[in-house]
Amino acid sequence: MSDRVPFTFDGVSLEGRYGESLAAALMGAGYTDFRQTRTGHARSIFCGMGVCQDCLVNVDGKPNQRACMTKLEKSVSVESEIFGRPLPAVAEGQPFKLIDDVPEESPEVLVIGAGPGGLSAAIAARRSGARVVVADERPAPGGQYFKQVLVDGRDVAPPDRQHLEGRRLIETALKLGVEIRNNMDVWGAFGPNDLVATEAGFIRRFSPQRLVVATGAYERGVPVPGWTLPGVMTTGAAQTLWRSYRRLPGARILIAGNGPLNMQVASELKDGGAEIAGVVELAEMPLLKSISALSRMAAAAPRLVRDGLRYRSRLSDVPIVYGSAITRIAPSENGLTVQVSSYPDAGKTGTRTFEVDTVCLGYGFQPSNEILRALGCEHVFDSQRGQFVAVLDDKCRTSVENVYSLGDCTGLGGARVALSNGRIAGWAVAEDLGHAPPPSNELDQERRNLSRHQRFQAALWELYAAPRPKIDLASPDTIVCRCEEVTVSQIQDVLKSENPSIGDLKRATRAGMGSCQGRYCGPILSELVAASKGQPPDDSVRFAPRMPVKPVCIADIARIAKP
Amino acid sequence: MTGPTGTEPTVAHPDLPEIGILIIGGGIVGSCLAGFLAKEGLDVAVVDSGWAGGTTANAGSLHVQMQSIFLQRFPHLVHRLEASLGLYKSAAAYWSDFQKELGADCEVKVNGGLMIAENQEQLDFLAKKAKREAELGLEVDVLDRASLDRIAPYLGPAVIGAELCAHEGKVNPLLANKAIRAWGKTHGAVRLAEERVLQLTADKAGFRATTARGQIKAGKVVLAAGYESMALAAQLGVHVPTRADPLHMNITEGTAPFITHLVQHANRPITLKQLGSGQAVIGGGWPAELGAPGRIPVVKLSSMVGNLSLAQHIIPQLSPLRVIRTWAGINTGVDGCGVIGAAPSVSGLYFAIPGDAGYTLGPLTARLAADCIQGRAPGEDISSCDPDRFTAI
Repeated sequence: MSDRVPFTFDGVSLEGRYGESLAAALMGAGYTDFRQTRTGHARSIFCGMGVCQDCLVNVDGKPNQRACMTKLEKSVSVESEIFGRPLPAVAEGQPFKLIDDVPEESPEVLVIGAGPGGLSAAIAARRSGARVVVADERPAPGGQYFKQVLVDGRDVAPPDRQHLEGRRLIETALKLGVEIRNNMDVWGAFGPNDLVATEAGFIRRFSPQRLVVATGAYERGVPVPGWTLPGVMTTGAAQTLWRSYRRLPGARILIAGNGPLNMQVASELKDGGAEIAGVVELAEMPLLKSISALSRMAAAAPRLVRDGLRYRSRLSDVPIVYGSAITRIAPSENGLTVQVSSYPDAGKTGTRTFEVDTVCLGYGFQPSNEILRALGCEHVFDSQRGQFVAVLDDKCRTSVENVYSLGDCTGLGGARVALSNGRIAGWAVAEDLGHAPPPSNELDQERRNLSRHQRFQAALWELYAAPRPKIDLASPDTIVCRCEEVTVSQIQDVLKSENPSIGDLKRATRAGMGSCQGRYCGPILSELVAASKGQPPDDSVRFAPRMPVKPVCIADIARIAKP
Repeated sequence: MTGPTGTEPTVAHPDLPEIGILIIGGGIVGSCLAGFLAKEGLDVAVVDSGWAGGTTANAGSLHVQMQSIFLQRFPHLVHRLEASLGLYKSAAAYWSDFQKELGADCEVKVNGGLMIAENQEQLDFLAKKAKREAELGLEVDVLDRASLDRIAPYLGPAVIGAELCAHEGKVNPLLANKAIRAWGKTHGAVRLAEERVLQLTADKAGFRATTARGQIKAGKVVLAAGYESMALAAQLGVHVPTRADPLHMNITEGTAPFITHLVQHANRPITLKQLGSGQAVIGGGWPAELGAPGRIPVVKLSSMVGNLSLAQHIIPQLSPLRVIRTWAGINTGVDGCGVIGAAPSVSGLYFAIPGDAGYTLGPLTARLAADCIQGRAPGEDISSCDPDRFTAI
């Protein structure tokens, strides 16, 4: 099979690599404007992982397809999506059907998410004798941390050690008989044994005996002037373009935010041939006081520290601006003009300006806990990390019977913690189902591993500790809700005048009513509403959980014959 | 004085110790009524157990013709529904006037409503229904497929004909609720959210409503609390048999406007329309679960699948649109008619409960209730809504 696939974009003939995402193919061809919003503004790839809904394109007449999640496998006609474009004529609908017509599968265990944690849980449960199905929305397993190289070709750089570790995990799962179902979007959780998904355009129900939620995380939204411009994306989006599709997000790139991922991605993109204009880090430069954190990290996970130092040394000629944040991104003749100032105290050092074509924003993550919330699993607010974390027992059982959860969707811990907790959860699920428990020495060993990884994470957070920007990097006219284009001043007007609930704020401004379902603005608004009420954030200041947890096409709900 | 449990002393409500007229329920009816009474210079406040615009959600359909789902579910109440058809017609028309009163664009559109038929039997049912509705004063017509092609080409090939009711339409509830709240505030209506009335008592001096924060003394009380009015009225020894109908709703992402009517089905539950935002709002009678008191009702997968499957079956062009959100709203039913006016046995107690299509009937119900409270003759015949018609407890 040829590794090249022809396609058209707005009538122009282009060529992409077989298996890459449409977003990657378009970026490779030099296109950044993917769609137009209601107000006529251009948008492009932002999250790169199917969450933000900003890269929507029209594919062979089918509207609102996520370019980052659509695989280029055959010649297709792609058009930039324009808000309010008339729907295509559809001659005939599907016959009217009821829920009883929908095929239902009853595995012993359903794992949602094929990242490190989900795969690890599936392997442990399967080894103990359980029948396991893993559902994952993406075209290939691995999640974010173990995303695989999904394209071939002479110009494609070979996989690195992280890829290979992921590949071994995937192969182990498959060899053991774990059923991994990709392109399976679980969009509804109506009960622990009442899940609904679409798989390649067909609706499916699952009634598992046990449910394991391992849905990972997505990048936190931090509104700053210009963050909706094409050319501005999350660090994770840039990493996916490179690690999975071997496409660079741009030629000259500025990476900003908080945490170790930014440094890793800067190093990877530089190896891939991009020019890194700088890395802007919220945390202060590691100094003597960090030695304790570093030594604890080295003791807990020497290899990860070596990786970190390697990334840093690859960036020896790249300016690293500590204690700072991007304060403005504006279009310029050749790309983007970016202002960087010290943060939180803007006057501490002078403002620097960068001329680049691409900006990556990586301010840490928010747990993808939509399914857990829909099921009513208990959460508490972690004020230090600014996120809700799931309440779990020491075997990853949630507060809801038969629902287990682990990994970054429960509160952030990173891939190593997810791998470890995956084993513990997988064993617990199997044992609770009546299968054999793991040898006690293995469980003890895993608990020691887990606490070592947790020590590493704690020290890492100490190293990167920094004040967390909410909307203080934004101007009054900066968009907070990307989907409905709601600005800071519109939000503040409502907050000032009426002591509103989060629901009032949503209904008054439409913030959170768009296609990303409030994933980027929701966490910010929750904290603002809590602050205006003078209370710590709790469930009452969050958007109510709503189905579907991801937008789902009406045709896919109605198409219920076996493919 | 004692509190809700009957033992502890009750303090006066810190924000609202006393008010002339207390409206319990801040949904479409209570919000409009507060505005009308405040505009007349009365001392009025509205309390709601939840949030602005009503705790339970609404979808903004302007219903007039008899809904097939009601006829199927409550055949014994058809005569009651027929008795209030005139009110439905007036209420839908009143939305246009009320929008002017609000001075805001709430996307009130009266383009007519279509109840579609997929086979001859359904079309015959519609013909019979239309005949009866015409006798009762509605402007209705039964259309064949060729006529539908001219006015509603978006309907799919499954549809063979439809009843058109000229009085029907839609309103954007988000815009309307926001405008009503602002309008009420301008006229001085006091509004308290997240204040559930736990106990309601009456004596010669007037009423006392107790919330978690304290006691509110009121000269008059209006029950505009939808299905929760029954329990509140019972505390005063008055029987009003309200019924909660939790219903499923879906909303899609936006697209170009192409569905001009309110669309329903002759034999299956569906109400479908497109908002000014281009979003299709799809609901119309698929059940949800009520859930615990004070909690939002919970949607059901079976309703979501059935409702959306039916939507694309009758309007195939909707197929590629994505659903971005579902929710459940609570419709309040009584006996096919609303409950409007003074309570029979408790002086100073009034009802403002609109009956089966609460949002359609809301502003008019509020206006009529205001007339009753002010001792004016209401501008419509509300004899079918007399609170005196139920057997006392």
